[in-house]
Amino acid sequence: MGLDRRGFITFLVGGAVGTLFTPVPWKLADDVSIWSQNWPWIPKLQYGARSEAPSLCKLCPGGCGLSVHKVGKRPVTAQGNKNHPLSQGGVCPLGSSAVQLLYRPARVKGPLKKNNGRFEAISWEEAAQIVADNLKGKKIAALSGDENGSASEVLAGFLKLLGSDDFYFMPSDAQVSQRAWSLMEGKGQLGFDLENSDYVLILGADILSSWGPVVRNQKAFASRKGKFVYAGPVQTGTAATVDKWMPVYPGQEGVLALGICYYLLKMGKSASLKNFGLVRDYILSKYTPSVVEAKTGVSAAQVQKLAQDLVKASAPCVLVGSDFGQGSGAFEWASGILVNLLLGTLNQKGGLVALPENKVITSAPWRSELNQKSFLKFLDEVEQGKAVDGLLVYEANPLYALPQPEQVKTVLEKIPFKVSFSTFLDETAMACDLILPAPHFLERFDDAYTPFGVGQEIYSVAAPVIEPIFSTKSTPDFILEVANKLGVDLGFASFEEVLQAKAESLGTDLESVSAEAYTSDKWLAQNSLSLPVEILATGLETEGEGVFLAPVARNYLGNTKQALTPFEVVVVKEFELQKKDFYIQVNKNTANKLKLKQNGKVKLQGAGGECVARVNITETVMNDVIAAPLGFGHQAWDEFAKGKGDNLFKVLSVKEEKGSGLKVWNRSQVKVVRA
Amino acid sequence: MAKGKSCVVLPFLIGFVGALIVGWGLFPKLLYSEKAQPIRFSHKVHVEDQGMACDECHTFREDGSFAGIPTTEECAECHAEVMGEDPAEAKFVEEYVNEDREVPWLIYQKQPDNVFFSHIAHQDFDCTTCHPDVGNSDTPPVYYENKISGYSKQTMKMWQCERCHAQNGASNACYVCHK
Ligand code: SF4
Repeated sequence: MGLDRRGFITFLVGGAVGTLFTPVPWKLADDVSIWSQNWPWIPKLQYGARSEAPSLCKLCPGGCGLSVHKVGKRPVTAQGNKNHPLSQGGVCPLGSSAVQLLYRPARVKGPLKKNNGRFEAISWEEAAQIVADNLKGKKIAALSGDENGSASEVLAGFLKLLGSDDFYFMPSDAQVSQRAWSLMEGKGQLGFDLENSDYVLILGADILSSWGPVVRNQKAFASRKGKFVYAGPVQTGTAATVDKWMPVYPGQEGVLALGICYYLLKMGKSASLKNFGLVRDYILSKYTPSVVEAKTGVSAAQVQKLAQDLVKASAPCVLVGSDFGQGSGAFEWASGILVNLLLGTLNQKGGLVALPENKVITSAPWRSELNQKSFLKFLDEVEQGKAVDGLLVYEANPLYALPQPEQVKTVLEKIPFKVSFSTFLDETAMACDLILPAPHFLERFDDAYTPFGVGQEIYSVAAPVIEPIFSTKSTPDFILEVANKLGVDLGFASFEEVLQAKAESLGTDLESVSAEAYTSDKWLAQNSLSLPVEILATGLETEGEGVFLAPVARNYLGNTKQALTPFEVVVVKEFELQKKDFYIQVNKNTANKLKLKQNGKVKLQGAGGECVARVNITETVMNDVIAAPLGFGHQAWDEFAKGKGDNLFKVLSVKEEKGSGLKVWNRSQVKVVRA
Repeated sequence: MAKGKSCVVLPFLIGFVGALIVGWGLFPKLLYSEKAQPIRFSHKVHVEDQGMACDECHTFREDGSFAGIPTTEECAECHAEVMGEDPAEAKFVEEYVNEDREVPWLIYQKQPDNVFFSHIAHQDFDCTTCHPDVGNSDTPPVYYENKISGYSKQTMKMWQCERCHAQNGASNACYVCHK
């Protein structure tokens, strides 16, 4: 008998009914639902023993000790190390991204060489050979963004042995303060003993958001013994938090300091300066209350009150610095130092202190010597024809974070061989011939010796907390390897040995200092200080045309080294960035004067460039000032940073400071036109 | 007409029974792939021959979390070098200890990440209430992997957890297991 159509259909029906009495439909439905929850892109938890490893944050010069929480071998989060003097358990938004940055898409995954405009992967052996061949007998310069690590010492020592003095740090207040201090014949590195002060007057420096050892500053503020007063143009994180905010025009903090000096001198205060008489007469005649009021926007009565409050305090401290951490001149620093000298707080508890230096690479200059040199001046020299064959860039991004980066790019194009040791694919790395990625700082040995701004000598070292994820190599180790190839002896076979020697030079050892930072209370006595009066003239110069620009640095938007992190994208506020436009901030008065409307699109025109922004009207900025954030407008990195807003560095204008020869850009002015 | 009727019942029955055979007999075989552990680990050698106790390797950490299967580093406390004749041990030392890699053990009861199972809360039960009794095995049991979901055949389903909780008077609130 055959199976007819009817029979076949009943067979299928029987099969279907039968299937309902089996696990097939139910199990399949269940499994498919589970399958649909297991897409490969869904992150999986890491299981293993939880542990904590001490480390050190190298995302800014703040030098915070970290406590990296691990599950098994994998770090999962970074918190402040409770036992570290600069973090005391705290961490800033940037530092809290430390672990996530291990996996940032912009990480460079191995050594790369540019070939006809495209990068190709090469081996580390090949990289070392190319570098050695290009350095031999050539004129080499180096730029470092690590102002307190021994990696810079290795690089500077190496350059010196190659016969070059062209080692530079990225600009910061650390350099300017050193330059001013040296002009005053001071010794050592300046610092502020905020912890023991009972009246801290902060002129400009946004110490609770972005300036210096931010977390330590916050801790000192949290346990303050008296008042913290802030003078600056914008209600920054510091201004909004401290006991009092006094609006002052951008870059006029030095003038305010001299205004205070005027009243202190009138009260009969003196400072042990060789040329004290000259200085006193100069200030009393030139920085009269009316001049100071016109320049700073602070009334004479307020300045006088500041002077009186400082005198009343038993341990006052005046901290001066650029609003955005760079671009200030010797003028501001010398003026700030002078107030402290008149108050008699130098090397006193709670005052301005001079800290010792340290180095272990014999050929390397002292940090105070390296800090005298300006990369911007070097760029001028190159532009004017100075022959330089090669540039080594370590942890620095000058093509983004120097004033007028387009011009910087043009000048650097004159240098035929450029190497970037960046961990991330930043603007500078993209313009180099070789990218030889340094490991992320959690993957390498690194250190920080007395970060600028602290009040005591501190040495911290971190051992790696994770094996390198990509094919990276510690830059100082690579330099030692190349030095070896070139027959140049820096006296150490590995970077770990350098750190060991540094720890020993401080009377400790690598293991102890990795577990707990070394600290000392050594302050350097000063014998004969002076203050060249020419430096004080800067504050009297007439301002140019345009509106004052107050750049604002905020760690959560990234900094000069690190672009906006994936972690922090969500905390960018709607009045900081919307779609592709970033915002400038002006108050209602200024908006009316400049005919600006909320959300209106404008162009900021500086001396060397322009950028596009939208307007936010807010009373957190003083009259006649435009505040704008640094950190936007990246053209490299990854989707988290690229193409968001514009780069404010483009509109900063650089001037040469008389008396010190320094380049300054904290008094930039811009024109605002509707876009 | 009668002839026509028998023609309907028989194919129905054949289809019905066939589906039962496929559903109960063939389907489970097709659904799971059989896998062997990457290393033929012998519990017997460790327990019987070496006299080791379960909790020498399967420990609770100080914070009360369960360490599960020991890491390569922990195994290497004894097996830094090959100690015996077993080729499985040699393979382990060569491929995992020397290479500093973790063994991708197949976990018979692996729960998804959204389940927070606390071993210490269940420590009064015998391990074999949930796990296969591997303590005396020389070769680990075959691991059946669900080809669709990717989970082990023995991964406990939620209804099983809930039933046991209900029978033992433990809460079945969501947050007890899902944090
Ligand atoms: S302040 Fe600087 S060093 Fe400290 S956590 Fe933030 S980025 Fe790191």
